[in-house]
Amino acid sequence: MKTFIAILGATTVLGVVGSAFAADAGQLAMGKERFDYWCDTCHAGDPREAGRFLPGTASLNAKYNGSRPGALVDRTDLLPPYVELVIRKGMEGMPFFRKTEISDTEMKAIAAYLSRNTKQ
Amino acid sequence: MPIKLPPGISAATFAEAVKEFQGAVGADWVFTSEEDLDTYRDAYSISWGHDDEYLASAAVAPDTVEQVQAVVRIANKYKIPVYAISTGKNLTYGGSAPTYSGSVVVDLKRMKRVLKVDDKRNFALVEPGCSYYDLYQHIKDRGLKVWIDCPDPGWGSPIGNALDHGIGYTASPYRDHWGAHCGMEVVLPNGEIMRTGMGASPTSDTWQDYKYAVGPHVDGLFAQGNFGIVTKMGFWLFPQPESWMTGTVHVPKYSDYSALVDHCNYLEDAHLATGQTGYGSNLGGQGVTAAPEYRALMANGWPTIEQLDAYAAQRKVPAWRAKLQFYGPEKAVRASWAYAQRRISAAIPGATFTDIEFSTLPLSPAQEKTHHLVNFGIPNMAIFQIVARPAAGPNNANPYDGHTDFFAVVSRSGSEVFRAMKAVYDIQKELKIDPITATPFSSPVTWHHKVFFMGAGGVGNQRGDAEHNRRMRALYAAYIEKMAAAGFPAYRTNPGAQDLLVKQFSFNDHALLRFQEALKDAVDPNGIISPGRYGIWPKHLRQKKA
Repeated sequence: MKTFIAILGATTVLGVVGSAFAADAGQLAMGKERFDYWCDTCHAGDPREAGRFLPGTASLNAKYNGSRPGALVDRTDLLPPYVELVIRKGMEGMPFFRKTEISDTEMKAIAAYLSRNTKQ
Repeated sequence: MPIKLPPGISAATFAEAVKEFQGAVGADWVFTSEEDLDTYRDAYSISWGHDDEYLASAAVAPDTVEQVQAVVRIANKYKIPVYAISTGKNLTYGGSAPTYSGSVVVDLKRMKRVLKVDDKRNFALVEPGCSYYDLYQHIKDRGLKVWIDCPDPGWGSPIGNALDHGIGYTASPYRDHWGAHCGMEVVLPNGEIMRTGMGASPTSDTWQDYKYAVGPHVDGLFAQGNFGIVTKMGFWLFPQPESWMTGTVHVPKYSDYSALVDHCNYLEDAHLATGQTGYGSNLGGQGVTAAPEYRALMANGWPTIEQLDAYAAQRKVPAWRAKLQFYGPEKAVRASWAYAQRRISAAIPGATFTDIEFSTLPLSPAQEKTHHLVNFGIPNMAIFQIVARPAAGPNNANPYDGHTDFFAVVSRSGSEVFRAMKAVYDIQKELKIDPITATPFSSPVTWHHKVFFMGAGGVGNQRGDAEHNRRMRALYAAYIEKMAAAGFPAYRTNPGAQDLLVKQFSFNDHALLRFQEALKDAVDPNGIISPGRYGIWPKHLRQKKA
């Protein structure tokens, strides 16, 4: 699964062409609200305790080494299916999320929010 | 992974039961597809991908106590084992997976209500799906003057954490989450609702104030147990302190450690320094084991106390430090710190004191960026740094997918800490672990206010590497058995090791477990509630195992 996610992740770079993904304001608002509730606590863009980046951002900073932003909200290459896959399948130390935590509707909203700056 | 049926249940019978579960909670809240059930695996399991990995046959997510009752009654009717999770984030201790494969997980995440917070009598009453974040936000939104006490991961459940004897970071006794609970509501194996303590009185208003009511106090059966599904629980809360202060004590000799521990015990038990004491050695720390002088010290095996005293003297640094934390009014915390310095100066020659910080509370937003938030009852996820991909090193390309903790219970005495650190060292040496992480400068953690916990090195796991996980399982089992043999059993463990851990508590031919089994047979004759949790198996499964 890790290999699959890595391949799908790589395809997000290739997908950067065209216009932004369609998402209505309501979905984006829900996506931001759910992202802030569930994800920001690890993936925030600003350092927290003792000036350290939080684990998700720290991990992605180490992974991309400056080639992409560590903070998810700053990414411009995320595709909704990739975000959905990581939510349901997890990634390294990040566990997966059940539907009782993040429903399919909420998952799609988070995916829309994180891909709002991605060009098709 | 293939979807499992509950053991001994035919596909047709299971299909009938699933239909009834759907009738009880709604079809949208019964999960049977492989895709959905994959999210009920234990993400940090060291059995991941092994034949004996714990897997659910279905998951059912009730929203009300009445729905929990209905689910339990259906399970009883079909003799289907069920396993309740709260937020399902008990990672390293089982996550959202059951302790008996084929069980139906009862996922209580939807039951996330904060039912009451009282900042005059200082308690909360919550449901199991409520997270530390939820409770914290509820209090913050209403400007209530109480703190929660949270463990490292803020997305956990106060109920789930307490039921697994979880611990936290603020003042004693709130750090002991089970100890700070008061009153619970439980759906029993027959589907009946029971309230414990003063909740059994139809007229009393003290359910969250007084634990005991009259007669035997039965709450303990539901912690690390399998006698029912807890649907409500009360917790005592820390009234928001006016200020916080910290100061660090340094003592020169290695052998001063015992006296340092005794004094810190006094300060905590006398309610003068009620925060978590942070022990450390100035002789240890990152890279210590690679230093030539350390290698020389350890060349002939575990050193004597005299050798360690000489080592500290040569290095010209104080051997040990203890960071004390105080909560309360400014005058009180400053007076307590002054008293701690007088007391320790008089008793330990050469003791010095540094790193003094005082702050009024609550912390400012700027301080929240720099301070260890759990010491202030603020939930966060910073601890997940331990599984984050490191910036450099061998794990950069292939970081761990999780970890499995081992923490032994050690009495708060210097000599016992010395014995425990040597026990970890001996195990690592015997198992040829390279590098050995246990040193004479290892420190216990002080989550619980009456005992120390001594870690034995995190056990990292890889979901994609079954062989690596097999080695980790062997190491983990060795820690459990050998540390218990040395006098230091673990306080908590993952489902795969619960039988082995319980086996170590063997006084009078396992009288405690036999008593629990007798109760289990009486209360849950069909053995449907969480079979095998912390080694308590129902009769029909004990006979199979024998």
